[in-house]
Amino acid sequence: MKALEIQNLKFFYMGREEPAIDIEHLSIEDGETVLITGRSGGGKSTLVNCITGIIPHVFHGEFEGEVNVYGKNTVKTPLSKLSTDVGIVLQNPETQVLNYTVEEEVAFGPENLCLESNDISERVRESVDITGTSHLMERETYTLSGGELQRIAIAAVLSMRPKLLILDEPTSNIDPEGTAKVFDIIRKLKEEKTLIVVEHKVERMLPFVDRIIVIDNGKILLDIKSSELSHYVEKMVEIGIEVPIHFIYAKQNGIDSEDMDTIRERLRQINMIPAPPKRAETSRVVMQAAVNVSTKAGKKLVDGEIELQEKQILAIMGRNGAGKSTFLKGLMGFLDIDLNCEIQVELDGRDISREHIIRRGKEIAFVPQNFDLTLISKSVELEIAYSLKKRKVKNFMERVDKLMDMFSLSDLRYRDPLSLSLGQRRRVAMASAMASGVKVIMLDEPTSGQDYFHKQVLGKELTRIKEAGYSIVIVTHDSRFVYRFADRVVVFNEGRKVLDGTPESVFMESRQYSILPPSDFILRSDEYELVNH
Amino acid sequence: MNWLIINAVSWILFFFGAAFPVLILLKAIGLTGFMKVTRYESYHTFYYRMNPAVKIILGIMVMVVASVTIWWIGAIMTIAILLSYLTLKDGKRKFITGMFLTIMTVIGTTWAFAPYTPYVILQEAFHSNHLTALWVWPSYFTVMGYQPSLTTQGIIYGFQISMRFTAVSLMSLVLVMTSTPSQVLRSLNKVGIPTSLTFSLVVAMRTVPRIFEYIDTSVKIQFMKGLGSNAPSILRPFYMLTGAFSGIVPVIVFLVRGAKDTAISADTRAFRAYSKRTYMHPMTIGKVDKMALSAVILIILMTVIVVMMGFGKGISYNG
Repeated sequence: MKALEIQNLKFFYMGREEPAIDIEHLSIEDGETVLITGRSGGGKSTLVNCITGIIPHVFHGEFEGEVNVYGKNTVKTPLSKLSTDVGIVLQNPETQVLNYTVEEEVAFGPENLCLESNDISERVRESVDITGTSHLMERETYTLSGGELQRIAIAAVLSMRPKLLILDEPTSNIDPEGTAKVFDIIRKLKEEKTLIVVEHKVERMLPFVDRIIVIDNGKILLDIKSSELSHYVEKMVEIGIEVPIHFIYAKQNGIDSEDMDTIRERLRQINMIPAPPKRAETSRVVMQAAVNVSTKAGKKLVDGEIELQEKQILAIMGRNGAGKSTFLKGLMGFLDIDLNCEIQVELDGRDISREHIIRRGKEIAFVPQNFDLTLISKSVELEIAYSLKKRKVKNFMERVDKLMDMFSLSDLRYRDPLSLSLGQRRRVAMASAMASGVKVIMLDEPTSGQDYFHKQVLGKELTRIKEAGYSIVIVTHDSRFVYRFADRVVVFNEGRKVLDGTPESVFMESRQYSILPPSDFILRSDEYELVNH
Repeated sequence: MNWLIINAVSWILFFFGAAFPVLILLKAIGLTGFMKVTRYESYHTFYYRMNPAVKIILGIMVMVVASVTIWWIGAIMTIAILLSYLTLKDGKRKFITGMFLTIMTVIGTTWAFAPYTPYVILQEAFHSNHLTALWVWPSYFTVMGYQPSLTTQGIIYGFQISMRFTAVSLMSLVLVMTSTPSQVLRSLNKVGIPTSLTFSLVVAMRTVPRIFEYIDTSVKIQFMKGLGSNAPSILRPFYMLTGAFSGIVPVIVFLVRGAKDTAISADTRAFRAYSKRTYMHPMTIGKVDKMALSAVILIILMTVIVVMMGFGKGISYNG
């Protein structure tokens, strides 16, 4: 039986002349596991919204063609009736979780179906068992980590017992440990359900999927068996999709294998092992910071320190709850007044520990994960000029122009920052934070929720800023990004710094802290193989 | 010189009334303090075991009693409810926060009434034609609705009026802090309020604490970018307030972007599939509820007696 059948689908958002999705034919068999990938804005989410019936029931526009899920036409069938055939888990668990307690969240769907309380309990139990979250039942949802929350979001959809489950970038906002657990759930569900997973992490998804569909500009560019991926590597890279690095080198060097060890061995034989990314030379220390955070009850949350050098990108990594963001927020004076926080910060040899954030902000910029919250001005120009005006800097327009040039924002000078694209908004937030002449820039999870293409753009931006003389600290879960762009890595575990060194040295040992080394590193490192085999 | 001092002090007092309570609150509990008293936390004491519908009835009763009886009954209820905050999770902190909120409500309300209430109302309320002037406003303040002088009776009157609000404010927060939106939904549905209406309440209860959290981040970033950098530190709460206003637009935009996901999440889980919902744990009336309802009946009886004894509305309201 067909789980999904699409014929001549076109959907135009209101006021748009080009269709956001344009698919002549697509069908998915019952029990298949399909990966849908492609660049952000390419039409993946529009497609899954058409499959779930969100389009046209929730989002309106011009809809053409036919979408049938297990024989039900998604236009003619009410969304509530479709919900037992198809369920969707969204990218950001924080916005899709509605209830305060885990139990209430998982029970929400079955309660809407007007089931008996015994049936609801049974479904809740079954869903939390599958997702391994039964121990979280009594918890409030806002106390959960990103990974835990995403598993609860999956459990909440599973309790509807849908035959077709769609996971729309389920791991883009969570740490490697959480990601691994979500992949475990996918592995379990593969045997029971038809799965469509929208993901950028092609490499991680490969072991689970039968088929890969690439969507770009609203159209299906590729629809291949997963075993055929290595033949389409160049095309995927051209589109801007992250593919396993060893596939790329295998293709480039005519090696007919998908196995990492074999490819590395062959590359070594032909002396084609790629050189590791260039790291910044050791230079003078710009900032030394120690942060000690504890609860009023005396429980230690963070007790760590970092040292940042000039023109360096320092990455802070660790599993969720390891204390990375708390460290950064403590350093910047952003923590809740309920927490005790002692900090020791020396910037260029000067102790700024006791300074109020108004003064500290003159030398250290901070861009939070939700950087949209920082965009308060009516135009890009005013946003960047904000701190210069507030600090009464003379001839500030000169510096504003320079920053706009540096971040390629000159053409957007008079646009409202909140109306820009994600990448542009981030650039405005960074330029605005840097305007008052800071030396150090700190970014909390800048790679979270971004696709491969945008992460590359971000990495290049940070490298450019570094080369312009700034020192950068980033908190991230993305080991591939760190390997490519960071000069040094610090790993936190249970609030303490446990590893500190170059990405090469840290990735040798990072697995014990749930940080998986990227394939870029493994391909280049014989030593890693020796240690880890 | 005298003219200058009178004008300066009068304007300081004017702004004191408008901003002082909020500034003190921001200084004392911070924006995240508001988050703490608008968010549910699991616990086991009686408020948490009580049916939300009973809590709503209690809140309505407190409001009615405070409205129809003399001010000190409102004051007693305020103290009683505030003391009951100690039974909540992290009770001491919530008690302190509640106390600050109450004090600021008292100051804010007193100041909202004291300079404006017409003398004739005060004379009627205090059964005396003699009013004690504490401060004489510049004559042009009457344009803003001020009486010529600030009087002791005006301040007492404002204070007494504030006792109408404090108890019910505290009781409303008890509902928010001790009931999950889902429990409220269950209770309200049981009395026939449509799901689509109560769902708005659920989303609001989930969103309000986030608003404070996000505004807090926005304000701190503005400070980092130099907000108030040239002003003395004593004025920082003022800047915190202006920063909070500036942060409202990005916070709303941010929340609206997330609201799309919330709508999808609810609609794809059969929300509003039927006019009613069933529940995993249907709301029941337990021992605690029966005790609370008995207390409500007792309060009603006592109110009737108190009013009959002449302790009804002690002062007029039309100020």
